[in-house]
Amino acid sequence: MTAAWLILRKDLRVLLRSPLLLGALVAYPVVIAILVGLVAGYASSKPRVAFVDEDNLPSVVSVAGHRFHLQTVIDDVAKQVTLVRLGPAEAARELADGKVVATITVPPGFLGDLETTVVSPHLVLKTGSGGLAPRVTQQMQALVYQLNQQLQAGYITANLEFVQLLLHGGKGHFLGRNFDVLGLARTQQELAQMPSTERVAAIEHFVQQARVGLAQTGSALRATANPISLTQAKSHGRTWLLSAQVQSYGIAVTVTFLALLLAAGATAAERDEGTIGRLRRGLVSLGELVSAKVALAALVGVVLGLAIVVVFGIVVEVGGVTGGEPWARLPLLLAGVLLAAAAVGAAGALLGALAREARTASLVAVLVVLPVVFLGLVPRGAFAAAYWISLFLPFAHAVRLFGAALYDSSPWHTVAIEAVWLLGIGAVFWVLARLGARTLSA
Amino acid sequence: MRALRVARRYGDVEALAPTDLELLSGETVALVGPNGAGKSTLLAILAGAIEPSEGSVETHARVGWVPQRPAHYGRLSARENLELFAQLEGVRGPAHAAAQMLERFALPTAARPSAELSVGNRQRLNVAIALLGEPRVLLLDEPTAALDPGQRRRVWEVADALRAEGGAVCFATQNLEEIEHAGRVIVLQDGRVVSLAVEEVFG
Repeated sequence: MTAAWLILRKDLRVLLRSPLLLGALVAYPVVIAILVGLVAGYASSKPRVAFVDEDNLPSVVSVAGHRFHLQTVIDDVAKQVTLVRLGPAEAARELADGKVVATITVPPGFLGDLETTVVSPHLVLKTGSGGLAPRVTQQMQALVYQLNQQLQAGYITANLEFVQLLLHGGKGHFLGRNFDVLGLARTQQELAQMPSTERVAAIEHFVQQARVGLAQTGSALRATANPISLTQAKSHGRTWLLSAQVQSYGIAVTVTFLALLLAAGATAAERDEGTIGRLRRGLVSLGELVSAKVALAALVGVVLGLAIVVVFGIVVEVGGVTGGEPWARLPLLLAGVLLAAAAVGAAGALLGALAREARTASLVAVLVVLPVVFLGLVPRGAFAAAYWISLFLPFAHAVRLFGAALYDSSPWHTVAIEAVWLLGIGAVFWVLARLGARTLSA
Repeated sequence: MRALRVARRYGDVEALAPTDLELLSGETVALVGPNGAGKSTLLAILAGAIEPSEGSVETHARVGWVPQRPAHYGRLSARENLELFAQLEGVRGPAHAAAQMLERFALPTAARPSAELSVGNRQRLNVAIALLGEPRVLLLDEPTAALDPGQRRRVWEVADALRAEGGAVCFATQNLEEIEHAGRVIVLQDGRVVSLAVEEVFG
């Protein structure tokens, strides 16, 4: 049995006998999963929107002879947002207080304008300044789009009735006035009974052309109303909660946090216990010692990574959502977790060697881990320097590797590049930790 | 065992000036001196626990080292500590070796973390770990400081037995009564070997 394996086995035994630490290790993935769930729950919750009806809309309205079930449209909108019927003053107050994220107002005269079919009525949307406002605005735009689509059919039918009146003649009604129209067909018949002159022939030709042209009006109106129509097919794709980003960050944060803390604490503990002197007497080389601490971090990282992946996988299965490879790519993901945890563990061993005391090492590790994580979160375009620094730290590479391993249809290119990065970073930290460990027994 | 001009510096502080020391078979050497004299540093260098800033140590025998502060894993029991260090020492039958040491030093056999043992028991475990590799040279850094008279006697019995078998013992002490166990006394002061009587360095 090699010395490194003996030290690793000892560290695992010590870990299992530290109830508080072990509890934290078991609870950590659960807490992460719950927190992510809560954040996702907030993000996917329906925003509260005040519905102010100042025109007393009936549940069914008739426009251009067509009946519209307004309540059905409102119910459709309520699937996306929680509509709360409020008076104008109360709605304004709740918007100011942030109790509703927006107010949608049906102003007085809305229905009257709608029924004329010649005036466009207005709905008034007011939003707050919260992060959900853009989402609500989009949903209200979608509502108006849906209403318009339904109304367009009625409007076109109404317009076509006038066209039919022009073509065939008859009694009509518009803006409260009744009238009688001769119609092009009857005009043509009248013209046929008139003496055939050049002027009558010209009028007959015009009438003929007009009848042909107006016969195409229906198709033209429909095409004008909907130049492009959107056909929507429902699917069970992943929510952002189960997206590659959330899962990758969840695993990477957990692994980074724990691997760094564990390796730093375990390395510094050899000095705290006074055992480093014994070990250095040729029993364990510094390389073996650092390797044992890196292996500890990698092993615990894999176990915790697996726990998170299993939780996500079960949620995906239970939710019946598609996308990604929760199970098929498990070996690849775990290999990535092993590599990332080892690279972070090497950095932790360096911290532990430099701190020389477990308490200081743990504190320094906690202080270091947050900037490391946040540096990895900064987009390249936002702050180039942060991106370049994060390039030489394991976190960002771990996130990219996990994302590719779980979700890319062809992950090998990304996985290979990020694996090489992690190997390189891990090797550099291992060498530095090996050098730093010389100070442990000094 | 021979140390040739071994020295240790921490920055500008010289913990041990260049020092020569030879330990021969069948002898016991006492390192005597006040706190900060360099006794523990010299023993740690001889044991290989710390690297000398200069000089070298030649060893032709297995070395056992009892550091001043008990050095074992507090979350492991006495038996587990002994088994682990026996494995690291490459002892055949580590479980048997551990059991022997538990009996020899009357250490508790229960699976109780060694951090919870009494100071005396921890110090005896400290000595027991040093003897696991069946050393021919035993380096003891104030080994009896926390022990009762009976336990002290047992430690000296071990040291005397080793010397009688042709081994060598080197121990550091501030207890002048223990000098009687030594055949040779080296006095250290401020990191240097000095030619003074023991009583003189302690004022």
